[in-house]
Amino acid sequence: MATHKFDVAVVGTGPGGYVAAIRCAQLGLSVATVEDDRPGGVCLNWGCIPTKALLRNAEVVTLLSHAADFGIRLSGFEADYAQAVQRSRKVADRMAKGVEFLFRKNKITLFPGRGTLEAKNVVEVKGTGATETLEARAVILATGSEPKSLPGVAIDEKTVISSNGAVRNERAPKSIAIIGAGAVGVEFGDVYAAYGVQVTLLEALPRIVPVEDEEVSKELARTFTRRGVTLKTGVKVASVKPGGAGAVVELAGEKLEVEQVLMAVGRAAKVAGLGLEGLGVQLERGFVKVSPRMETSVKGLYAIGDMAGAPLLAHKAMAEGVVAAEAIAGKSPRPVDYGNVPSCTYCRPQIASIGSTEARARENGREVAVGRFPFTANGKAVALGETEGFIKVIADKATGELLGVHIIGPEATEIIHEFALGRTLEATLEEIIHTIHAHPTLSEAALEATLAALGQAIHI
Amino acid sequence: MAVTKVVMPKLSEAMESGKIIKWLKKEGDRIQGGDILAEVETDKADVEMEAFGAGVLRKVLAPAGETVPIGALIGVIADPADDISALLASAPAGAGAGGGSVAPAGAASAATPTPRPAGPTPSAPPASVVRPAAIVSAPAAVPVAGVGQGAQGGRVKASPLAKKIAAQTGVDLRLIQGSGPGGRIIRRDVEAAGSSAAPAAMPAAVAGAEFEDVPLSPIRAAIARRMPLSKAPVPHFYVTSEVAMDRAWELREQLNALEGQPKISVNDLVIRACALTLLKHPGVNASLQGDAIRVFHRAHIGIAVALDDGLITPVLRDCHAKPLAQIAVEARDLAERARNRKLRASELSGATFSISNLGMFDVAEFSAIINPPEGAILAVGSVRRVPVVDDTGLGVGRRMMLTISCDHRVMDGAMGARFLQDVKRLLEEPLRLLV
Repeated sequence: MATHKFDVAVVGTGPGGYVAAIRCAQLGLSVATVEDDRPGGVCLNWGCIPTKALLRNAEVVTLLSHAADFGIRLSGFEADYAQAVQRSRKVADRMAKGVEFLFRKNKITLFPGRGTLEAKNVVEVKGTGATETLEARAVILATGSEPKSLPGVAIDEKTVISSNGAVRNERAPKSIAIIGAGAVGVEFGDVYAAYGVQVTLLEALPRIVPVEDEEVSKELARTFTRRGVTLKTGVKVASVKPGGAGAVVELAGEKLEVEQVLMAVGRAAKVAGLGLEGLGVQLERGFVKVSPRMETSVKGLYAIGDMAGAPLLAHKAMAEGVVAAEAIAGKSPRPVDYGNVPSCTYCRPQIASIGSTEARARENGREVAVGRFPFTANGKAVALGETEGFIKVIADKATGELLGVHIIGPEATEIIHEFALGRTLEATLEEIIHTIHAHPTLSEAALEATLAALGQAIHI
Repeated sequence: MAVTKVVMPKLSEAMESGKIIKWLKKEGDRIQGGDILAEVETDKADVEMEAFGAGVLRKVLAPAGETVPIGALIGVIADPADDISALLASAPAGAGAGGGSVAPAGAASAATPTPRPAGPTPSAPPASVVRPAAIVSAPAAVPVAGVGQGAQGGRVKASPLAKKIAAQTGVDLRLIQGSGPGGRIIRRDVEAAGSSAAPAAMPAAVAGAEFEDVPLSPIRAAIARRMPLSKAPVPHFYVTSEVAMDRAWELREQLNALEGQPKISVNDLVIRACALTLLKHPGVNASLQGDAIRVFHRAHIGIAVALDDGLITPVLRDCHAKPLAQIAVEARDLAERARNRKLRASELSGATFSISNLGMFDVAEFSAIINPPEGAILAVGSVRRVPVVDDTGLGVGRRMMLTISCDHRVMDGAMGARFLQDVKRLLEEPLRLLV
């Protein structure tokens, strides 16, 4: 057993942890990281990145099945799901290696193993070898989150799987019930449907992607239904039991027999077994309570990312990692603007949003101006053959403040940043409309939707 | 032939609106570039407004007596054949732009970097041009360590949204300390300023025998608005020095006895001494500009002139390059025209240093408030006959107190002291002022 001294110890190397570690190193601090899986965390290894690889496969499969639309005759093709998963693993491996490279480049020491707080500034790492002790001026916790299940339903990763199982299983089931139609649910629904799996999406709230603007939910429901995905919204799952081809999902007055069930009802912070109780670290609704500087209730102990609360998004974790690192380095970082975190879902058509939904903006008592522009009227989208969806801009009527933007359509997740930047700079509708948008681009739809909010859209 | 829009020009740093005193040209008159179109009363002075285009004054949109925000369309110069109906249609009748609605991005707003007043009414007296809320909120809105951006000249750094909210709620952005990156004013700053001003809203004017509310004259309102922008955010320090004026007094009497030469005042000697010393001490001839100190290579000296209802500081340009006689003539001319409100717009801004002389009021010494964005101002007292002790014993000498107020962000005490030392030396060896 050896004791190592560092300026900062970072427990967990997901997008929050590794970014915090690198930023600390940039600021001249000596940094140790602790990881019991592979560097990169869930995001790079089992979440964001491999699922994006699978979704790309789904897109290619869909495109090939529409080859005739482009005048390309194919004499059939075979889409091998196992190879799609293998490809996604390669992508994940490459990204994880990238994090290891960045650690080396920034002289960050990686301690493989499970980290536990012995004191607020002492982390004990139990790995495969000897137990190591890290003593640090400041500790950043970034242990992330794990999939939740419904009460009484155990995730066995065989019949009842979580996203962890879904990204690993090389065999797609014949049929699957996905419980929860948030981002994870609709993304896997998209992948499975493209590979011919019979997909049923179950959502307790009245609509799929329930946190998005209502019109976006409606548009996605329309395209998913057209692709043969069964949507059941406003339904409560009473039980999930083994039976039939795999599992029986019991709804109120209905039983659903499927080969697999994917639990996509949300994620819970990983706060157990870290030694938080002993230090008196305050929690709030299962998440670690933090200050705007990302410091916990214990001085010198910081928490970032999923474990520190909603929204559970990698880019929010990264932003928090930078704030924590700069706070530790004695700078005065600008706190994370939680009202301006873009939310992206990578199903097809993609969904991206920022700020308030129309309903929320109206609830807040704002008199709003709403502009919409459909991709059917956008030249680039028509040329691509990707005309599903629209951009919706919600602005304050008096000032033109950008209250919210909701995009469903091709490359929605890229287009959103124009509005994210605009909101950061406190731009109004006028600054967007006076920004020349190149033609032909999908981003022109952003300009047009903004013009529409002022009643000035040209192309519709 | 081009159509020329005649807009209310920004004639001084603090000007937000102007009142048309009278039109010197009427509709149908042929106009040459440079012709005087109208006389305008600004917050500081009455100035003549020149034409920038040639043609016929086709339309006068703001009649005499009307107060309009800067940038507002007040007339159109064009060829008789030109169609100006579209231009006229786009201009609101009467007072022009302004008002509470979101201003369209047009010529008017493009010409106006600062927010326009919330909504001056055409028939309102000049006093109403100054928004009471802005004055009331000034002490609350300027934090101790703050820097009123307007005080430094140049544009106000504010987000587009902050500008719009400020324009709609009548908050003066120049009085606000920004909390965004690089001190940029963002929405929450404007909202905070708005709400802090609200409880302090103007008390309802009470008519009665006990007191009387005298409306602020435009110039008094401008002073009221400008001075907190200096005194609160600019950390002043003061250095005082006593100057033996015996030889300067003697020299002045000799010069004034010369036939055919302009009369020289003590203040002219001080101006000349300061001009020469400013070139030697450019650190005092300097201004804080955001994150840089702008050091001027020319000495443009503002000369404070007392008026019945306030004071004005016309600028005598390039004093360093002017002989004493020229300074005397020009300074007298400026002061006279200032009292008659006949200054040109160019004479109201651009000073790099100022001098305030209360000598005529038999003032021993005083200290002045810096006129931002300048870095320093010199306060000049009377030349008094006082008992002095020298090698030969007790005698009577002429002494004058000089107090320089310096912006501590720009310079330090020793710089101010060295400057004053050299001014003192020039005045005590006054022949140096003549060479």
